Amino acid sequence: MHPALAPLGERFVAYLSDRWQEPLTLTGIEQIPGGASRETYRVRVDGPGGSRGLILRRDPVSSLIDTERALEYRTYQAVHGTAIPVPEPLILEEDPSHLDRPFSVMREIAGCESAVAALAQPPFDGLRERIGERKWSLLGQLAAMDPGQLGVTGFMDVPDHPARRELDYWAGVIDADALHPQPVAQAAIRWLRRHLPAPSARRCLVHGDYRSGNFLFDAEGEIRGVLDWEMAHVGDPLEDLAWSLDPLWGWPERTLAGGLLPREQAIAIWQRASGIEVDREAFRWWQVFASLKGLAIWISSTEDFVNGQSKEPILAVAGWVMTDRQNRILLDRLDPASTHDYAEPLL
Amino acid sequence: MIPQPSRALADLAGKLVNDIAPETSSTYAAANTGMIAMLLGALAQDAERAVASRMDDIDEMQRLFTTLGRDCDPDNAEARTRYVGRQPASLRLGDVDALHQDGMALLIAVHAWAEDHDPDLDRSIWRLLHRHTERNRLDLG
Repeated sequence: MHPALAPLGERFVAYLSDRWQEPLTLTGIEQIPGGASRETYRVRVDGPGGSRGLILRRDPVSSLIDTERALEYRTYQAVHGTAIPVPEPLILEEDPSHLDRPFSVMREIAGCESAVAALAQPPFDGLRERIGERKWSLLGQLAAMDPGQLGVTGFMDVPDHPARRELDYWAGVIDADALHPQPVAQAAIRWLRRHLPAPSARRCLVHGDYRSGNFLFDAEGEIRGVLDWEMAHVGDPLEDLAWSLDPLWGWPERTLAGGLLPREQAIAIWQRASGIEVDREAFRWWQVFASLKGLAIWISSTEDFVNGQSKEPILAVAGWVMTDRQNRILLDRLDPASTHDYAEPLL
Repeated sequence: MIPQPSRALADLAGKLVNDIAPETSSTYAAANTGMIAMLLGALAQDAERAVASRMDDIDEMQRLFTTLGRDCDPDNAEARTRYVGRQPASLRLGDVDALHQDGMALLIAVHAWAEDHDPDLDRSIWRLLHRHTERNRLDLG
């Protein structure tokens, strides 16, 4: 346990002991890297019921993604217990007095890996195709679920035109946060407005950030937890599929979506699991939108890093390195003379 | 000694990755060390080329604007004419950036106009954006 984290751990355990009315002791706390939208800690406590692993997610001083913690927590509650594995949500604490900022607590899913790079080594080598199959099967199953039956329509809007709503929102983020002119992003926004698809008949719970790195897999090739639901919303099923296939998630590998499977294979798995046939014309729109949304997030993180209180390196990496890559992907997708050096042609 | 910022930054990035990151005691610290090394690598590339790449962009935009008639994106025709005659106040990056951003704002406007009125100009601007993006490309391994 790093000594600098012990005071936070002790305050957290005091809170838990009071809340759960049982004597608990802190046996470990470590910060998990990559928590761009929340500070994330793995905490271990001992008590009368034995040892427990918990995940503490505390609001940061500044965030990569501006999200509502309550919406995310309620989404975990709605999805937990369905076919989509997620960590069990235990506590949402919005009173900042306990740990300086609001936080949530989940039960830890132990013994798993999230980085696709781990698939190159034992014990995960040989699992690439199996995990890819599970990844897009689960996403298809999510798309097949009725958001009303899931209960999320009680706290999420159901848009009349999901594509228009998402475009308006993310174009607004770029307008608000760009620190200098963004010619590729603006060209993409104009393209998306000109080619706006008709609203699809289907609505589903959209995860909003379903990509390699945001799920936990084990050594048997099973996905044990889908994480980071902070951008979840009700929308078009094609949105998550297109986002999951964006070339950025497998960078610099272009042919394997998310570093796992060829794109057409991933789509076929998703179609079987969802029972939805992909409308290819609409899907072209969602692929361009996915790259624009990514660019909007990176542009926003630049603004956060420059003007915000947090100087987390991940904000600067997103703001500079990811912006560079996403610009190249978008340009590859829209330039009429593209040689597709960074992104395969739109499907 | 003549300072060589790009080389110094690249060397510091290597030091972080090869010597310091393995000595860190937590995955959080190791991950952040890796990200800082990556940023130093990006700074090393850009420190050397930043002014030159922006000046190349400015030069390309000025040459493009010179070829455009007043009927092209007429609302910005006068602003484009003024832009063609401008030079940065100095070769400090902040001054070059200011002129670069003014040009990019005009380029966005003329690109939007070209999409509706001039397919050849639209293609030319995409090629310009391609060269602009490649000039600023980060090669981080």
